[in-house]
Formats: sequence, structure tokens, C-alpha cells
Amino acid sequence: MKLAKKIFKTALEENRTFVLENEAKDIMKEYGIPIPPYTTAATADEAVIKSKEIGFPVVLKILSKDILHKSDAGGVKLNLKNEEDVRAAFIEIMDNAREFGKKKGIDVDLSRGVFVTEFTEQGTEVIVGVTLDPQFGHALMFGLGGIFVEVLKDVTFRLIPMQEIDAREMVGEIKAVKILEGIRGQPPRDIDALVDIIMKVSKMVDENPEIIELDCNPTFVYEKGKGAAVVDARILIANPDDEK
Amino acid sequence: MAECITSELELFFSAKTIAIYGASASPNSVGQAIIQNFIKPQYTGKVYAVNPKYDNVLGVPCYPSLQEIPEPIDMVVVAVPARYAPMVFEDIAKKGTKAAIVISGGFSETGERGTELENQIVEIGKKGGIRIIGPNCVGVIDTHTHVDTFFLPEYRCGRPRASNVANISLISQSGAFAAAISDWTSELGLGISKLVSLGNKCDVDDDDLLCFLNDDDSTQVICYYTEGYDPGKGRTFFNIAKKVTSNKPVLVVKSGRGEMAREAAISHTGSLAGSDNVVDAAYKQSGIIRAQNFEEMFDMAKALAMQPPARGDRVLMTTNGGGLGVMTTDALDALGLAMPHPSTDLNQRFGERLPAYCAWGNPCDVVGDSDSSRYEVVFEEAIKSGEYDIFVVGMLLQTPTLGMEITNVISNWQKQSGKPFIAVSQGGAFTRKAGEILELMGVPTYATGEKGALAAWALARYGEIKYSDKFKKTRGSEKP
Repeated sequence: MKLAKKIFKTALEENRTFVLENEAKDIMKEYGIPIPPYTTAATADEAVIKSKEIGFPVVLKILSKDILHKSDAGGVKLNLKNEEDVRAAFIEIMDNAREFGKKKGIDVDLSRGVFVTEFTEQGTEVIVGVTLDPQFGHALMFGLGGIFVEVLKDVTFRLIPMQEIDAREMVGEIKAVKILEGIRGQPPRDIDALVDIIMKVSKMVDENPEIIELDCNPTFVYEKGKGAAVVDARILIANPDDEK
Repeated sequence: MAECITSELELFFSAKTIAIYGASASPNSVGQAIIQNFIKPQYTGKVYAVNPKYDNVLGVPCYPSLQEIPEPIDMVVVAVPARYAPMVFEDIAKKGTKAAIVISGGFSETGERGTELENQIVEIGKKGGIRIIGPNCVGVIDTHTHVDTFFLPEYRCGRPRASNVANISLISQSGAFAAAISDWTSELGLGISKLVSLGNKCDVDDDDLLCFLNDDDSTQVICYYTEGYDPGKGRTFFNIAKKVTSNKPVLVVKSGRGEMAREAAISHTGSLAGSDNVVDAAYKQSGIIRAQNFEEMFDMAKALAMQPPARGDRVLMTTNGGGLGVMTTDALDALGLAMPHPSTDLNQRFGERLPAYCAWGNPCDVVGDSDSSRYEVVFEEAIKSGEYDIFVVGMLLQTPTLGMEITNVISNWQKQSGKPFIAVSQGGAFTRKAGEILELMGVPTYATGEKGALAAWALARYGEIKYSDKFKKTRGSEKP
């Protein structure tokens, strides 16, 4: 995939081994992974215009080559309902980023502004991720989000590339599968859409082995027939210098 | 990806002329223990000793180097101090021998100097087309050809035997485990074809042997003990295993399960992927069955070697003791096997032919005063009904009514039906004997219901691996 290679090249030229959120989502979109509408905005005015295009409420997140963990830098503002919210959030994010840079003793690059996206309707939270195992190579992880992954570590793995039957087995073998199947009168979730995301992530990593870690966290799975969406995406790539 | 050239490895197991480099006349030495293995009458090939100090070792002609030996040598066993190894390998290359097992330690496992020596022998080996097992290993036992390089005297370390029914081969990274398994399996009544200790794996590795054993007609089940894979080698093993497991069962005991902290991981996924999760996934995905320990591995391997894989997951537990029935059923259930009750039809047939005080359900209890004829009724009707894929049979031979002919009954119905049978014979010396007899007839027998249940699970799991979507899974099939 040409787009992915170009993005990885830019990242390495900027001395970063992580891919910005808009870039990660651009690559995922190319592979047909469902992503809620998003764009970027370099100024507060632009952020307002783009937010209107996407439709309120929106989310703003810092986009900078110097910031990997956006929340830690005060760089994420959720559920912004109108122009004023967006404008204030933009300014606050920029201030926070400068402050964060001061503490770290770096001059944070703010030229890219922010990532703007829809404040997505909450679905059942799952995580789809990828790791590069030194013995076995790329492996894909799946589990339910929140406490299921944090506390119970209810996750399952398969090596990439995968077949669809592997993806279905993964979904079936987590302990919390009943939540996806629908319990206590809840309708079942769209497992086909989830399997589709897993398969597309597998294909994406198989074709772009530079990826060493990836998180689609959270991914929301909606009611059966209503699909699923990757809400936050993080991609880390190998530094070719490390391999020497 | 590793290619499979298995013909080169054949020499390690079927060498007809063998030279022991470093053969020694001193009692209780490694160099003497190895040569003792080859002067036993069961080894029918020729053996030579190489050591400038002697004319003969235990009556075996001894030469200063390979060059003086008057015929070609198929394999050299190297038991000299590491520092002499490069010289020995030059000699091997000159002789044109294509297989060498390096028993000696003192190579890459000890540090820089050792690594250098190891690299030297690998290089000479590559140039001369010599395949190398080891160094730092106990080598090979082949129970058919009696090639045996284990330097452990037989009175201390028993040797396994081949079985006429089916055989297991085991590859071990650890030499000590290979030895313990040799000793242990010599008393278990398990058929073993080959034991290989790989040591430092400077040339021949897990992948090579997996390919080789896949093609080896005298191996029905392949077992591994491994502590870990070199970078990338887990993936190559996975790739080969994917092709092998539909042909033969592959079982692995892998130690080093501990969650290795991966602090460097930045992503969530990275931090959760304690490498053992990935190992589990790789084994599952390639059809390898992972055992927790050796006992489990051999319980499963025995069943897989002696019985056909199951076509589905429905188990009928037949027993003459209620307690054994319940315990075994609990274990089968916990392992995820299906335990369906007999259909109305089958129930009726049992009712017509069994005494009214029997409890035919699942478990199907023919009760304590049963003789073998009630088992016959259960097997005949249940097999005819097609309602079961696996038969687990409890036989408590402490009861006066159950005669030894039960072993015939079980074995006959197994053979007639072609369905997998597992027997559980719980108790002391008498029941153990009955179990041994039943195993001679080809039905694996276990001392507890839990072990029998695990064996049944292995037959179902391997059926699932071998027949994939043709395997009839009834339990949990409502899942996505």
C-alpha cells in the first residue's frame, strides 16, 4: 500500500516511530476499516468550520509529532456541543501542549493543530490490537474493553495472517462472549462487523510488516446489523536503525 | 521459510558404520558409556573407536583418526573436549562423513570462546555438507535400529522399546529430560520410536526434525519439549506445524510460561501480550496440542498413538461403578466434551436388554454385579445408534463378577466400530495387570478417570484438527 509507506517515511523523517491519529486512520480507511468521520484543523477558526461540517457534538485531540500520549498532555476534549465549546477547547489544548512541552523541556510542534472527529455514539467497547512477538512475529489480540481487558485480562491472540475461522474462534473464546451475544434482554451485537475489522487489521499488518504495535482501542460494536467503528487508533512502527 | 530436506537426517537414525571420537578405556567415562551402547548385540551395524591413546576400546578397534578406518563412516559421535572439536571436524570432512552428533559441552552455552568454537565447527560442517546434532546434548536413541548415543549406562537409565501398535518420537531441547524420559518410558509400556536431544541446535533444529518425523513411518505421534525459540524460529516452527498436524499429532510441553514483563511496550496490546499468550495462540492455530507437563503429554500421546482420532465430541461413559462414572463425567465435562443422554430409542433398547436396576444414562452404569455381557449390550446398541463418537469405559475389576474377558470385549468392539475407546482401570496390582493386557490389545488404559478424560479430550481435539469442519462438534456449536 503506497499510502502507508509514505506515511511511515514521513514519520521516520520526523524522528517518530508513532503514526499520527489522522494518518493511522487514513491507512485503516484504505483497508476498508470503518472509522467515524474525521479531519484536521490547524487553527481555532478552521476547527470551528470543520466541526460544523462533521456535525456537533465533536471531539478535538492534539496532533503533534512530539506528543504520543495525548490525554497525558491534556490534549483531548470530548463532547463539544457548539462553536464556543470548540473554540475554547482548541485554545486550551494548545496551552496544555505548550505547558506539557515546558515540563519536558521541549518545544512542542503545534503546526498540525488538532484532530477533529465525531463524538461517536457509545457501543459495546472492544479492543483489537497487534503486537510483534520476537519468537512468533505479528500476533493479533482481541478482547472486550474496559475492566475486561484491564482487570480480567480476558483477551485472546492469533498469529497474523489469519483466516476468518480464526477470527470467529477468537470472538467465541473470550469469557465475556455472552455480552456480545446479548444478555438480559440486550440485543446481540454485530459480530460479523467485528470479525470484518479483525480480518482487515490482519491484512493491513500482513501487508505492512513495519507496524510493530497497533491498538484499535476503543472499537465500538453496535447492535446486529448496525456495524462497528474504530474510535481511537494508534500505530507504532519499527525504527530501521534499531535493527542494526 | 525452512525447507524440508529430510533425507540428510536419516543417517542419524540408521547409520550402519559409526565412529566414536573420544572413545575411552576408562570406566565410568562418557567416552566409554557411548561405546558400550554400540557393542550390545541389538546394534547390528559396525562401530569404530577413534582415540590416539588406544589400539582398542572394550575390544572395538581404535584408530588415531578417521582416515585409518578401512571403510566409509556414516556417522561420527564426538565426545572430545570442545577445544579439539574443530580439528575433529576437519577429520570428519576429509573422511566424507555427512552426520555428526556432538555430545561435548563447552560451546556457545559457556561464552565467547565456546561460541567461537561452535561457529568453527558449523562452518566446517557447511563446507563439508555435514549435518550436526548438538553440541551439548545426549544425542539420539532409535529403538528400531538401536543407534544409541546416550552416555547414560543402561543399568542407570532404562531405554524405551518400540511397540508393534504405534510409536511416539520425542525431541527435547534438554538432555537431562531426554534421559529422564528414556528411563521413564522404559517402564510405562509406551512405544517409542526415536528420542533426540538437540542441545545447542547449532545446525539441526526443531524445524528439521518436525519435517523428518512427519515423513517417518515408524513415528505416529510427535512430541516436543522446548524452552523457547530463537528470534523468528517460533514462526518457522508454526509454519511447518500447520502442514504436519493434519497428518500426525504434534504435542508440545513448553516451559518458561512466566509472564515476561514487556516494559518497552508502548501500546496496550504490547503490554498484554505476555509471550505465553502468543505461544498458546500459535500452537492452537497450527494444530499443536499443548500439554502442561510430561505426565499429561504421555497420557495424551498414548491415546493418540493407539486410537483413531474422534469424528465428533459426543462421549459415552460406561462403568460398573457409580463413583468412577461421576468423577470421570465431571472431568469430561470440564474439558468441554459433550455428554448427551441416550435418545428415547436407545433408552428403550437398553431397557429391553439390561437388568432393570442398571442406570443407563450418561454415565451408563451397568452396576457392581455386572459381567462383561452388559458392557457388550451397551457397546453394541450405542455403536449401532450412531449417537456417540468416543467411548470411555470404566472397568472396576475388584468386583467378583467382572472377568478378564472384559479386555477382549472392549478391544473387539473398538476394532469392529473403528471408534476411539479409552479405558479406566482404577486400583492396585490386579487392575494394573488388566490395564497392561488391554494395552497390548491396543486400547489405552488409565489409572484415574481424570487421566482417561484428558486422553478422550486429546482424541476429540485431534479429530477437530485433522477433520476441521467435518468434525462434528455438538457442544458450544451455538456460539458464533
